[in-house]
Amino acid sequence: MLEDGLLIWKLKGGSKDALRAIYEKYADDLVTLAANLINDKVGAEDVVQDVFISFAESVDRFRLTGSLKGFLATCVANRCRDCIRKNRRGQAAVIGKAERSSPEVKSPVQLVIDSEELRKLGNALTELPYEQREAIVLRLHGDLRFRQIAKMQNVSTKTVQSRYRYGLDKLRSSMNGEVRK
Amino acid sequence: MRPADNIEESIKKLRYKTDTETHEKILGNVLQTLDKNEKQDSGGTRPDMWRTIMNAKTRKFATAAVILIAAIISLHFIAGPFGATTSVYAEVAERLHKALTMTYKMTTTTPLEEMPDMEMEVSFKEPGLMRMTMEGGYVSVMDSVRGKGLSIIPEKKQFVEMDMSNLPDDPSKNPLNVIEKLRSLPDRADEELGTREINGQVVQGFRVTEEGITSTVWIDPKTKELVEVEVEFVNAPGMGGTMTDIRFNVELSDELFSITPPDGYTRLELQVDVSEASEDDLIEYLRLWSSWTRDNSFPPTLNPVELAKVSMEMVKAGKFGPEEQTTEEQGMDRAMKMTRGMMFVMKLPTESNWRYAGENVKHGDAETPIFWYQPEGSETYRVIYGDLSVKDVAPENLPQ
Repeated sequence: MLEDGLLIWKLKGGSKDALRAIYEKYADDLVTLAANLINDKVGAEDVVQDVFISFAESVDRFRLTGSLKGFLATCVANRCRDCIRKNRRGQAAVIGKAERSSPEVKSPVQLVIDSEELRKLGNALTELPYEQREAIVLRLHGDLRFRQIAKMQNVSTKTVQSRYRYGLDKLRSSMNGEVRK
Repeated sequence: MRPADNIEESIKKLRYKTDTETHEKILGNVLQTLDKNEKQDSGGTRPDMWRTIMNAKTRKFATAAVILIAAIISLHFIAGPFGATTSVYAEVAERLHKALTMTYKMTTTTPLEEMPDMEMEVSFKEPGLMRMTMEGGYVSVMDSVRGKGLSIIPEKKQFVEMDMSNLPDDPSKNPLNVIEKLRSLPDRADEELGTREINGQVVQGFRVTEEGITSTVWIDPKTKELVEVEVEFVNAPGMGGTMTDIRFNVELSDELFSITPPDGYTRLELQVDVSEASEDDLIEYLRLWSSWTRDNSFPPTLNPVELAKVSMEMVKAGKFGPEEQTTEEQGMDRAMKMTRGMMFVMKLPTESNWRYAGENVKHGDAETPIFWYQPEGSETYRVIYGDLSVKDVAPENLPQ
């Protein structure tokens, strides 16, 4: 937070180094966040690029009211939703589990710990209803509080907590080989 | 451990990494956007660090520099009100006399929306130990007996060591003698304010002004507890701070006041000056400001509140030159110098008859007086000219 305050301060003064530092600090986290939300690794990079470009364009007006990571994570989540909506409308491929389960598809973005179990978990995550997946991913990869996720999803905090809990239960069941609707 | 066993930890391991080449490409595109933005700005001018402080729109620009400044300001606040408020504590004297520790929360305030309030928690312990913590885990510890201080920046794993050997010799001006000052409590309240309620508690108010600082002190007449102290700079109305949650004799471990840097932290080279702000600080402030303006002119005002507003207009009008590349340490050093310069003016008493006439005067103009004041006990005035030279001038020879 302290360092972020200083970086924003410098960035507002036009410092490219500050923007570079912010990017280097959060880019991988944000790519991870986006990749887990839309399960499209290349798409995740596009999302992160778009978010940073918007951020750079509007930094003069930007006011840090919470954590910078939280702000960027929220931007990424909003953009991922847009991506998914667009893909649904245009019947374009929302990248599903096919990509994760096809090791021959080479992407510049790679799972850091490439284990079979984790790959299965990633696939199971993809199977969750989007709201549940979003609650889990934003909580665990975006470090957002339930209250913040609730605001984004426009539901109560309790609803988000339920989505989170149900989502985790389903993942546990999937990993234990149970069939659950 | 299987992923199902601790599903949350396993999900956290679902991390993806972009290759360096792609990162560089994205970063290149992002930086290009910043370039385009700058070209669209008026005259390509960019505020440098100080102007950014003045214009800061960030809610919490809690940087090391700002916190160090806050530390200095806090010390002055403390030195002011407690040195000054005297009779107001008469009723609580006995209670305070036994105090060995003190804690409170300090919230600094400005009338500017662009400059956010800052909160800090302050603790004192005999003999002469002080600790301040701010949001984000930033901690400053000062030990007046050993003449040393330490500030740590946890997120960056950096620390700044402070040499406090330049603390004022006069014990009454030593900001760390807070508790001692509270114990003396002579009878000198300027004004009694009657009663009001703070969080349902009826409190009695007193006001006292000294060294350019007005302190309003609220005491619970039943419990004899100090409930709140509001501090405001006379020369910058609206700028000040509020002390709340004031507690005495709270148990405070010695470890809280350790001035040993934590393991794994690196030293940030920064000279922190905690001595009383002086005329030299004001001169440095004026020199720095004039080096930033395109025409080398001095600030149009020395009122920090007004200056913050005016500086925004000046940035828009392109009156500042291009940003000078500075290191983090240099930026922090400048910010502290500027603050000390402002502190000097803000603490000048009304009786000093200080006046600023630097608007539209350019650095180097040896003929034009830009600031003058009468030091306490002096028959002559100190006059600073546009070339930043200083002369002692008799009152009858002052500029009209």
